[in-house]
Amino acid sequence: MTTRSRLTIAAHVVFIVAFIGLWELASSHDLLDRTFFGRPSGIALFLWKGFVTDGKLWLELGYTLFGAAVSFLAGSIAAVSVGLLFMVVPRFHRAAEPYLTLLNAMPRIALAPLFLLWFGLGVGSKIAVGCSLTFFIVLSATVAGIRGANSDHTILSRALGASQRQVFFKVTLPSAVPVIFSGLRLGLIFALLGVVGAELIAAEHGLGQTLAYLQSTFSMDGVMGLLFLLALLGLGVTALMNRLERSLLAWQ
Amino acid sequence: MQNLAVPAVALERDNAPDAHAIELRDLTVRFGTGTGSVLAVDRVSFSLAPGEFVSLVGPSGCGKTTILNLLTGLLTDRPEGDVRVLGKSPSAGNPDIAYMLARDSLLPWRTALGNAVYGMEIRGVPRSKCEEQAMMLLQRVGLGDFADKYPKALSHGMRQRCALARTFALQSPVFLMDEPFGALDAQTKLQLEDVLMDLWSANKRTVVFVTHDLAEAVALSDRVIVMSARPGRIVADVRIELPRPRNVRALQKDTTFHKLYARLWSLLEQGMSSHDH
Repeated sequence: MTTRSRLTIAAHVVFIVAFIGLWELASSHDLLDRTFFGRPSGIALFLWKGFVTDGKLWLELGYTLFGAAVSFLAGSIAAVSVGLLFMVVPRFHRAAEPYLTLLNAMPRIALAPLFLLWFGLGVGSKIAVGCSLTFFIVLSATVAGIRGANSDHTILSRALGASQRQVFFKVTLPSAVPVIFSGLRLGLIFALLGVVGAELIAAEHGLGQTLAYLQSTFSMDGVMGLLFLLALLGLGVTALMNRLERSLLAWQ
Repeated sequence: MQNLAVPAVALERDNAPDAHAIELRDLTVRFGTGTGSVLAVDRVSFSLAPGEFVSLVGPSGCGKTTILNLLTGLLTDRPEGDVRVLGKSPSAGNPDIAYMLARDSLLPWRTALGNAVYGMEIRGVPRSKCEEQAMMLLQRVGLGDFADKYPKALSHGMRQRCALARTFALQSPVFLMDEPFGALDAQTKLQLEDVLMDLWSANKRTVVFVTHDLAEAVALSDRVIVMSARPGRIVADVRIELPRPRNVRALQKDTTFHKLYARLWSLLEQGMSSHDH
């Protein structure tokens, strides 16, 4: 590690410690209202209790992660398949485009009450919301990726005698992968967002449901703790996708 | 070099000694139809003997690339006149033809070796044979140590070397090259011209080489065909009487080379000015 990066890390640590210290100090001296802002020691206690002493948060985390994972997988598999179908049958793409644009323009979270009615309070409705968000993001990335294939590559391949099928599998698809991948990265974040959002509205389990409950009972330490947890989750998901991208797309 | 032998050329020579590898008769190409159509190529006729290296030079828009695309079979407009490649009408994906462009068109997700095998792979050559052949050619073009590198890690010149390997790995008896070194700096260009001469003399294919660099045309070719500005017509067809094998870098100081260059240059100027439109 270089001196420079060590210094940077030290600066971050100092900042975070100072920030938390000030917060703790301010709330313990009633400069900051604990009912509205919580306090760091309370937040830490909440997380400790939730994950270590009674371990109840694990179950909620599990529900949310399961919902997000299923939403992501189902939404992106459907999106990539439809995107590829569009490429093979351009007429279908032209016909479907206005409807997709209309659906995509709809605020998906507003559909959550409808999904709750259709799929119930359980994880089904959460997956429906997550899926509907992931699907459109990954679909537009797939279409953009396929359209972005370098014409030099296709011309050369055709001149060499490549069939339509060979051009598709050897040129169009691999060149679309990086764009599809950035769509997938966004899609995963949005799957998580959709699931937590739907849980906030109504659910039996999940981090969103817990958050709504804690908020309605004015347990700000809990709310802050969960927000922190959700931020970490988002960070973890992005880091995971970056890592996957680096190993899969070493040529970039 | 045994496995680089090209049976198609040999056959052509055995069966019909006078046969042309490429033949164009009264080729006329018009873009568009009716009154708005543009005459791109006007009654062009020439032919290449098997194993002959011929350059097409001329101002931009003279139809050089059009003729090349026509030979590749990529041109969809129906031309007038007759075009034959090894006795057949041109068609896209003709395995008799290998094609090389100014831009290297290397697939960025394939390594140098992966790119060198690409043409053979498309044509269904078995994998093991592909790799052996491609590896040998990468070594010939000086990329032996870079076989597992992705194009992003290669310089311009190295990328074009890789494209040369990909082209020569194909068993095609006819090579069509569209300004393959057009995007390179002068030094690198000379180096690659020598690499091309080296590969070509080891295994003589019939080459149509499109360029607007006269020095390159003279240094490489058996014949240089000079074309006029649009509509493209043949102004001159000059035989380059320089001994082979040639060393392109050594030629830069050769007086015959410079005389030929000067003569072609004045022909090219005529083609640009004596234009009656």
